[in-house]
Amino acid sequence: MPKKKILIIDDEPDVITYLTAVLEANGYDSFAVSEIKNAMDKVKEIRPDLICLDIVMPGETGISFYSKLRQEKGFDSIPVIIISGMVEREKFDFHSYVSDDSISKPDCYIEKPINVDYFIEKVKELTSKKILTKR
Amino acid sequence: MFQQLPYNVAVIDREYNIVEANRSFTEYFGNWHNKKCYEVYKKLEEPCNDCPAIEVLKDKKSVVFDSIGIDQHGKKTHYVAQVFPLKTGRGSKINYFMEMTNTVTEKDHWQQECQILFDRVPCYISVIGEDFRIVRANEAFRENFGDVIGQFCYKVYKRKKTKCRNCPAEKTFKDGKAHHSIQQGIDVKGQKIHYAVSTSALIRGGDSVAHVIEISDDITELRKLENEVIEAERLAAVGQTVAGLAHSIKNILMGLEGGKYIVSLGLKKNNKEMINQGWEMLERNFDKTTSLVKDFLSFSKGRLPKQEMIDPVDLVLEIVDLYKDIAAQSGIKLKSKIGKNVKPAQLDHDGIHTCLTNLVSNAIDACLMGDHKGTEVLISVSEGRDKLIFEVSDNGSGIDYEIKKKIFTTFFTTKGGQGTGLGLLTTRKIVKEHGGNIKVISHKGEGARFIMEFSRKRLSSLYKQSKE
Repeated sequence: MPKKKILIIDDEPDVITYLTAVLEANGYDSFAVSEIKNAMDKVKEIRPDLICLDIVMPGETGISFYSKLRQEKGFDSIPVIIISGMVEREKFDFHSYVSDDSISKPDCYIEKPINVDYFIEKVKELTSKKILTKR
Repeated sequence: MFQQLPYNVAVIDREYNIVEANRSFTEYFGNWHNKKCYEVYKKLEEPCNDCPAIEVLKDKKSVVFDSIGIDQHGKKTHYVAQVFPLKTGRGSKINYFMEMTNTVTEKDHWQQECQILFDRVPCYISVIGEDFRIVRANEAFRENFGDVIGQFCYKVYKRKKTKCRNCPAEKTFKDGKAHHSIQQGIDVKGQKIHYAVSTSALIRGGDSVAHVIEISDDITELRKLENEVIEAERLAAVGQTVAGLAHSIKNILMGLEGGKYIVSLGLKKNNKEMINQGWEMLERNFDKTTSLVKDFLSFSKGRLPKQEMIDPVDLVLEIVDLYKDIAAQSGIKLKSKIGKNVKPAQLDHDGIHTCLTNLVSNAIDACLMGDHKGTEVLISVSEGRDKLIFEVSDNGSGIDYEIKKKIFTTFFTTKGGQGTGLGLLTTRKIVKEHGGNIKVISHKGEGARFIMEFSRKRLSSLYKQSKE
């Protein structure tokens, strides 16, 4: 069975190294982009099973990238985990950043620094889900 | 006795009929029998619009007023009157009014008008003699500061034993001109009050100032509101600072957790390369913690700049020297431009060094974020009109309007996990401590110019203050 592909989008090299190590130790194939302007091309190139996305990045925010992804035909159902230190998990309100209600909320929000067990549990859950309908 | 009273007295019923009047009244206003009060007092055919009897009926208390009437010879006359309610029989119904009037001359009338104006103006007015004793005070003043006539103004206003420093009244006595200041005093109840005071000379013949008139406006409430706004802004700034700080700390913690994870994974797999990689991550994030704490302390420190006479040109060359390798490694040209006749200035060397390093490091980051090749950063220093001007410009990614609004005011970064949001805040703070200004001229995609301007006069006066 081929390994699931996970794409990490974060401007912080240490975060990329950390998440890569965690994912690979748990049997996933990881890819990374540190500049958000290259992220969509990477998504189209590798067609990941899951994306781990930071919010605060130079140039464009992760939220803005997420909104574009959800409107991109053929890629709009890729599960996304937002990983950020911006707000606490229980206080994260996606629609306070995006007023367009037609854009669905991200599949999961994990606060930095991550809890490895919880992170892997969520990765497992979201990559094993069979997405029957389009969002 | 009623007939002998030295005032004009009349008794009037609720239908405005005069039912009784004394001799003085009859001599003054003429025949009143079977006449209405308004016919006798004012020769009107209908009741007066401002009839005081209506007030008396409302409050059941006497009313004092001044008015203009017409005597029996048709001559206009000013009078002061008091109307009393008269009750007859049981119950509280008022059936009659007694009106006592006393005629006044034109001069008396205007004196009274002036007194009323003086008393009723809604601010504190006092007249002060050359010995700083209060000779007159209006009603608002007396209500707020008590019985003050003959007392020293400084004792009344501030409960002090000696004259105040920078006393505006003293200045007016000296130069005869108006002076203004904001003062703090204590009212009759012992409460602290803030007031804006203006003084003006009272010259009655001759050139010397006989008295000074002092008009004060109570601004205690205004000060309170101002303080509330400042406090709300302070709390908002604290909130933003804490949120920004928490974000930076979480990023560092993520790096530390990552380092720990990779070291332990390397140990488990006996992978030396992995152990080294994790260890480097730990070291890098410990360094980040140190630098965050240093930046934060430098931002939070409220201090006067340690000014010394330094050459701004040397400072610019130091920065170029510091950053030339970093810029070259990233393919960015770092240039300097020195204006004509740049003179030494009283600057805090370390402070301005911090400002310039923050601006140059931001400019390099902006060049790296931009798309085009041939990026460069230019540091310049020049003399303006009584100003020393530093400028750091780049042709990098530029700043859009929304970001420009935030960069100097909040804990804000566009560098994601790489920035703390403290650089420009600290820079602005240092510039302000030097009495200077910082501005940015930029548009998205068109590079940016950060300009720091220092008034030489201001630098010099701050330097003198710091030496005192």
